[in-house]
Amino acid sequence: MKKSMLFILIFFCSVLAFSVNYGGDLIYVMGTDAVTLFPGNTDNPSEMVCRNIFEGLVEFDSNMKIHPVLAKSWELSEDGKEYTFHLKENIKFHDGAPLNSRAVKKSLEFIIDSKSRKASIFSPFIESIEVIDELTFKIKLTIPGGFFINNLAHSAGLIMSPNSIDEYGYDLGELGKHPVGTGPFSLEEWKRAERITLVKNEDYWGEGPYLDSVIYNVIPEDITRVIQLQSGDADITSRVPPIMIDRLESTSGLTVDIVPSLRVMYLGFNFDKPPFDDDRVRKAINYAIDKEKICEVILRGMGNFSDSPLAPLTVGYYPTGGFPYDPQKAKELLKEAGQEDLTFELSCPRGRYLQDYESVLAIQGMLAEVGITANVRPMEWADYMSYLYGSADDPRYEVFFVGWSPSTGDADWVLRPNFYSDNIIPYGDNNFFYRNEKLDGLIDEGAAEVDYDKRMEIYKEAQEILVLEDTVWGYLWYLNQVVAYKDSLMGVEVLPTEIVIVKNCWFE
Amino acid sequence: MKRIILRRIFLLIPVIIGVSILIFVLMHMIPGDPARLLAGENATYEDIQNIREKYGLNEPLINQYFLFFKNVFTGSLISLKTEMNVFDEIIPRFLNTLQLSFFAIAFATLFGIPLGIIAAVNEGKIFDKIISGIYFFGVSMPVFWLGILLMLFFSVYLNVLPAGGKMGFESIILPSVSLGFIISGTVIKMTRTSMITVLKEEHIRTMKAYGVKKRKIVYKYALKNALAPIITILGLEFGYTLGGAILTEKVFGWPGLGRLIVDSIYYRDYPVVQVGIMVIAVSFVLVNLIVDILQIIINPRIAVGENV
Repeated sequence: MKKSMLFILIFFCSVLAFSVNYGGDLIYVMGTDAVTLFPGNTDNPSEMVCRNIFEGLVEFDSNMKIHPVLAKSWELSEDGKEYTFHLKENIKFHDGAPLNSRAVKKSLEFIIDSKSRKASIFSPFIESIEVIDELTFKIKLTIPGGFFINNLAHSAGLIMSPNSIDEYGYDLGELGKHPVGTGPFSLEEWKRAERITLVKNEDYWGEGPYLDSVIYNVIPEDITRVIQLQSGDADITSRVPPIMIDRLESTSGLTVDIVPSLRVMYLGFNFDKPPFDDDRVRKAINYAIDKEKICEVILRGMGNFSDSPLAPLTVGYYPTGGFPYDPQKAKELLKEAGQEDLTFELSCPRGRYLQDYESVLAIQGMLAEVGITANVRPMEWADYMSYLYGSADDPRYEVFFVGWSPSTGDADWVLRPNFYSDNIIPYGDNNFFYRNEKLDGLIDEGAAEVDYDKRMEIYKEAQEILVLEDTVWGYLWYLNQVVAYKDSLMGVEVLPTEIVIVKNCWFE
Repeated sequence: MKRIILRRIFLLIPVIIGVSILIFVLMHMIPGDPARLLAGENATYEDIQNIREKYGLNEPLINQYFLFFKNVFTGSLISLKTEMNVFDEIIPRFLNTLQLSFFAIAFATLFGIPLGIIAAVNEGKIFDKIISGIYFFGVSMPVFWLGILLMLFFSVYLNVLPAGGKMGFESIILPSVSLGFIISGTVIKMTRTSMITVLKEEHIRTMKAYGVKKRKIVYKYALKNALAPIITILGLEFGYTLGGAILTEKVFGWPGLGRLIVDSIYYRDYPVVQVGIMVIAVSFVLVNLIVDILQIIINPRIAVGENV
């Protein structure tokens, strides 16, 4: 008898230990307000909010693996040009409309037809969407697209209620104020630049949500966000500046997570400006920079040595080994190229990326040690974007510092916009004027390949060309992101795409 | 008085046109392409062209200017960044700023004027010196620094007031006290100087000689005469805080108009910047008008000057 009592007691304790608590309001402090809650025009804060309200056919987990959400399953045809999706049953939007094939078709097509800012996630690839029955539909692609499932996990792939599209149509501003999805939370109130309040969707189809509400408060100043977290006014915040990490870590009751992101920082070279067409010069600059030291001293561990245009968590990453610090080799290469007293302009943004200007000053010093004079030109972000991408006829930049983060988490979204010959500016982001037919072929092959392992093999070869052979970039580091929250908050998910997911959270 | 008000309101027309042209030219002179920023870093050529076409950014500048005015008058001007109506964005933010400025000025008045009077009455004595210290502290303390100190004390240490954001009435206490304290430095100084001058005038001496009570002299006769420059300063400060409370707004996460304009400049959100600055310019003129009317009420002799 006693034994069985003990058994029951242990059983209850273990159930309690693994169970979640319902109730509670989560307060998330973020630096900037959402721009819109229309999934086709999101920026980072907007996407974080949207992901509570809307759901996609598929979504990423914190390891960038795809998992089904609204879709039950899918098949890709042999030629890689046709996806067939099967939806889950009995899912309803917040307004009561059922989730079916027609609703998905309407939502995805609207992203393209409304000329939304993220239309290019779909427009070049989707040929047509065909409804087969209530819960089955086909997406026909213009090119074979082994990568395309990742595009559907992008925020542009979040499914909107057909009624809201009918009601607000192409008035994207109004549509962005009235988001209706299938997610665990729905919008209660949005006071611009103050707060966004989301409340529990009582009829949610899946498990949860556990919280009663999620409130996003907008606090632009870094230190104020940290103080709010310390004083208990807030439960979670992201984008903590590195200088405040120690302070938060030493506060009892707080957890600080440092998680790798997909953002790779690099030096771009203008191949049209000699001597940057010479790969020996580009390699010399790569060897001359002590990436690890900058990561340790200036970025305080918020960056890691990068040896590829892809971050390690991007699908398709291959560790090429890159260019470890070797000033002697840099000098030899410069001598060989006849560029022993090289002088150039090194432009960079100021305040856009973590310690951007400070890092570039360190790079300037390291280059000086191998005899290179880099004249640093810091610029304001808007000005800088135009400088790099807006002057296709007469680009004046020589070497520039910038970052890239593929929002689909896939190799294709790094290689195609940046290195494909057809994507030389203004048509894409290849502002290096880099052309390599062999690489173009590999990018096309990789996109078309349906078999995962074969795809990885193709991307491995592409990365070897980009890093070891042609050395198109100065490979620097990939960034980490910092999220801090109360110890009692469970279930926080940080995606490498710099998105923090709180919809499955609960308070202990 | 009617003539003064009418004249000032007519003055608003050239102010609006002048400010709008100036801001329009300045905004288009600074480099940076809004379409590129709006489309984001991963944008394609097609995305950027779509945005340019949608907002008429490909049109010649003069057409863009007239299009802007047309949209202002039809109420259909939208923000490039959020695609929402510009007035829907600006009005709530302006009301927030107005609220912050009002409480800051109220604090500066209630705190600054009495201290200024005490300093003037005790000229050269220990109270005067202490108050001078407060004055120097006020004028030399950067508002963001004071804000952070207050936040650490009241929010982290005592945990009685929210550190930032806008959640109920208590949220406005710290930002308005920080901003108000900085302004009160100038108010103290002005009150002290003005009071000292008035207290040395002959009619005050005469009153003293007649045995009128000191308290009555200071508060009833001297203060009334000393108020004119103080009101002018308060009016000017109020006008400045409408556009210039940006640091306070940023530190405390107060969703005011200054912050909106600065963010919009970074985004090259032309319509929001233009309308936002015009709103500030117009309210600056109106605040000055109110100050002048107040002056006339307190001291009718001023109106005579206006009529000449």
